Amino acid sequence: MTTSSERLRGSLVSVAGLIVGAGIWELVGRHTQQSSFAPFSKTISALWGMTKSGQLPRALESSLELFGAGLGIAIVLGFFIGLLLARMRTLRIGLEPYILMLYATPMFALIPFILSLFGFEFRAKVIVVALFGIWPILINTLEGARSVNLDLLEVARSYRSTEPKLWRHVIIPYTLPYTMTGVRQGIARSLIGVIASEYLLAATGLGNLILTYTNQFDAAHVLAAVLVITLVATLLMMLGRAIENYFARWKAGV
Amino acid sequence: MSAVPQTVALPRTFALGPRAQRTLIRIATGVILLFLWEVLVRWLAPPFVARPVTIARALPHVLAGHVPLATPPFWGSVEATVIAVFEGLAIGTVAGVLVGLTMGRLRLADRLLRFYLNAFFAMPILAMVPLMTLWLGFSGSVRLAIVSLGAFLPICLNVYDGTRSLPANYVEVAQSYHARWWNVWFGIALPASLPYVLAGFRLAVGRVLVGATVAEYIVSLKGLGYLIVYDGRTFHQPVMMVAVLVLALLGVAINVAADVATRRLLPWYRRSE
Repeated sequence: MTTSSERLRGSLVSVAGLIVGAGIWELVGRHTQQSSFAPFSKTISALWGMTKSGQLPRALESSLELFGAGLGIAIVLGFFIGLLLARMRTLRIGLEPYILMLYATPMFALIPFILSLFGFEFRAKVIVVALFGIWPILINTLEGARSVNLDLLEVARSYRSTEPKLWRHVIIPYTLPYTMTGVRQGIARSLIGVIASEYLLAATGLGNLILTYTNQFDAAHVLAAVLVITLVATLLMMLGRAIENYFARWKAGV
Repeated sequence: MSAVPQTVALPRTFALGPRAQRTLIRIATGVILLFLWEVLVRWLAPPFVARPVTIARALPHVLAGHVPLATPPFWGSVEATVIAVFEGLAIGTVAGVLVGLTMGRLRLADRLLRFYLNAFFAMPILAMVPLMTLWLGFSGSVRLAIVSLGAFLPICLNVYDGTRSLPANYVEVAQSYHARWWNVWFGIALPASLPYVLAGFRLAVGRVLVGATVAEYIVSLKGLGYLIVYDGRTFHQPVMMVAVLVLALLGVAINVAADVATRRLLPWYRRSE
């Protein structure tokens, strides 16, 4: 039971925490070397400078484009392969151990291999991002489609529901919340894929920004870029959670 | 309603048990996948790209420690990465459990730190690697810091969730028996959130492996990440793929160990997911 005044005090403490954090950042930054750390104020002015010059918006756009393309492919492929495997028993049994093994492999290790097959331009990077993101989506879809309540299927069949209708009205709506849990995890992993591919393949976007300014020992600009990545990542995670809750809304009442 | 009379004995020679059938399907699928890889790469890719045959040919040499001249040593790299991974998991687990418990039990700590925890958890930790080289120099400390942070965040977040979902009547009963705060923290909250520790640990393994390898690549540290990128660039792809295989096995092995530990140590806990 939290009253509104209690909640207000809670958010005040959180805001105070942020202000104290910025203050500590500022203090530490003023007493360290410019090449390794920068105060909060300098980071913000670096952020502003990069925004005005168009460097930051361009980098952000390039990274988000890569993220969107890779995650999009991961969602579409993960969903359909997941459904397909749920349906085809032999294929599922055969592929399951290999899928789990790929899920456990740090995808970073496969980047040099992908480089040799697809080059280092946008296409290769999209493949890397999709490979980072696809596994949780695929596995969760598969789990969801396999756990469809048999009663539901029997009722639908007893009303002479055709196979396509069964999919459209029972199996896919039942599976989507599971898929979306996978999508939320996929968002986080794809983001890692974006930065990793920008480090190792053609340097573009926010990853390139970080590498360039690190080589110039310009901590203020590096911190600004990391700050932007953190904000974007937090927003994307919130979006992912919102999507997950939206699709799971029919579950809440059960 | 079969047309076959009941008295006729059907040949049973091909009736495999469900277990054997599964194994057979899996092996067959594996063989088909390897075959496809071999054929496609031979047909479409340049000759230096790794194929199952060249990897198999390189495997005994690499495992015996014979790598091509001027490339990083194999077993030394494995050792460096494995040690860093376990150090990071150990540091991250201990710190994550302590901070997670504190945030779950003390409302002030929760409100002050919640935002930071969520932001750092959402951020790809790789973005911090170059920054860490500015702070710690091009040394092994960067890898250790990244790996520890990579393990800390998911475990901390999970313990925090676990402690917060602690049933209130547990604490009330304990308090009515005059339990001290440390009894509640370490006697009730910690055991109750052990399943969450393990769930966080599983997430941590993936993050730690990626973190360690990327740090090795950027800092040029001896380790599997550096070996993979170096051999990939110097056209020693079969050696590189052996290293990838070792990394994959490491990931699987740690996860399997965590599973076995869950079943042995927490028999009362069954995964509901």
